[in-house]
Amino acid sequence: MSNARLIPLIIERDVRILFSDAFLVAIMFANFSIDLFVTAATFGRLVTGQGANYFLYIAPGSNLITAMVAAFQSGRDVWREKYIKDLTSYLLTLPVQRPVLAFSRVLGGVVRSVIATFPGTLVICYLYGILFTPKIFVAYLIVGLFSLGIVGLSMAISAFSSSIEMWVTVRSAIQLYLSFLSALFYPVSVFPSFLAPIVSSNPMTWAIQAFRQLSPISFAQVPAGDSLGSIATLAGPSLAFALLGTICYIWYSKL
Amino acid sequence: MSSSPTPDNSLNETSTTAKPPTHLILQMALRDVSVLFRTPWIIITRALSFIVQVFVFANLISGLIHIQGINYFEYYAVGSVVTTIASISFVIGYDIFEEAEEGVLDYLLTLPISRRQLIIGRALGGAMRAIVYTIPMFVIVAVFWGFSQPLPILTALLSLFLLAFGVTGMSITVAVSVKNANRFDVVLALLELAVSRASTALYPIGFIPVYVAVFAPFSPVSFAADSAYSSLVMLTLDLPAIAGLVAFVVIFLGLGATFYFRRLEGGVYA
Repeated sequence: MSNARLIPLIIERDVRILFSDAFLVAIMFANFSIDLFVTAATFGRLVTGQGANYFLYIAPGSNLITAMVAAFQSGRDVWREKYIKDLTSYLLTLPVQRPVLAFSRVLGGVVRSVIATFPGTLVICYLYGILFTPKIFVAYLIVGLFSLGIVGLSMAISAFSSSIEMWVTVRSAIQLYLSFLSALFYPVSVFPSFLAPIVSSNPMTWAIQAFRQLSPISFAQVPAGDSLGSIATLAGPSLAFALLGTICYIWYSKL
Repeated sequence: MSSSPTPDNSLNETSTTAKPPTHLILQMALRDVSVLFRTPWIIITRALSFIVQVFVFANLISGLIHIQGINYFEYYAVGSVVTTIASISFVIGYDIFEEAEEGVLDYLLTLPISRRQLIIGRALGGAMRAIVYTIPMFVIVAVFWGFSQPLPILTALLSLFLLAFGVTGMSITVAVSVKNANRFDVVLALLELAVSRASTALYPIGFIPVYVAVFAPFSPVSFAADSAYSSLVMLTLDLPAIAGLVAFVVIFLGLGATFYFRRLEGGVYA
């Protein structure tokens, strides 16, 4: 079989793993709902004087956090395959080149993440009034591109974490960085100057800015215009992390 | 093998059997405290999360929030201690689930301690370690905002302990009710998120949307947060909140003990 036909098969396997317990997908949506309709809604009422509705300002963040959780779940599955299920040897016997296998696993994680956030992205598009416009496809592109980087990162962690505690710790540290040291809750200008470069290089900052630019509402300190610039900037770290994940997966498979 | 019986071990077992029930419960609880501190990663993660939440997130967002009569930075910091203790109290559920999966529970059942003492000891251990773990964060908050009066500090700590005790019971209930490992992980994470976010710990009740505000005051995290905030900041005693916490402890400790007991005696882990 050619590589072109094998890639969808590997992705399909990953998607089937996601749906082996549909309950997990439902719980991810429940998490998203709590984030959006409890936390974001409350902060929307607390924060005033930002020129526009703060709830709508932070709403895409709930969806991107769900995408992040789903993307990390893919890395955790890779970790379980190696350390718990001992499946690595079996996967290496498959008639597929290792780089293709590794990159397909990353793509599988992205597809899983987009599926897990499918209803959430629809909700955000509805809130932004772009549900029935072509911008909805851009919204899914942003989620997919953001997930690409996070899946790559989570697979890289899986390669180096020998215990689940270490894996969970590194994941939590990255999640803290993505959530709190980004423009998710406040504009970059709010941060002290020494943190500004860290915030500006955070993929979450560009993903959420791209989302906000899809909205017809103009938010304070979000540059007007289409999302293409932000998407292009997001693509940089996402592709770099995806490459890192692919390389680490190949490296750890050889161990 | 290190676990082989030795004359010393035999002596220890004999002396343990003769110990009073309270001592055995305490010994069980201390075991849980030491188990948590043998996994430093969990401690590092939660501590890092607390520091970033308070000194980055709360610090920055409080510049955008202006509520008359409330310093939101201070409000959030006290609430963060409460949500952190709730979070760490949930960890006992993961331990109990793992013990059942790995067969450690079988070993625990062979110990010369009654089932009842074992269960109370586990719940107490969960609460004790949560308190021990949270005290440094509590001290940071107390020093930063100048909470120095002993009685309010004691009342706040009592509220935190009651919350930890009740959440431990809740966590044990879930750990012995859910059989699938993946499901257990996400159910516990969702429960933790729900009780923390749908509460008044991180935001005042007047700003919570009505569909959550209806039941948020009855969350155990709200009871503990309201009581701690009243004691530390307003220097008053919130008796209804403390009563709510006591009720929460009684209900979930009872439920946790019942479910755990059923599992031990002929359930799936027997």
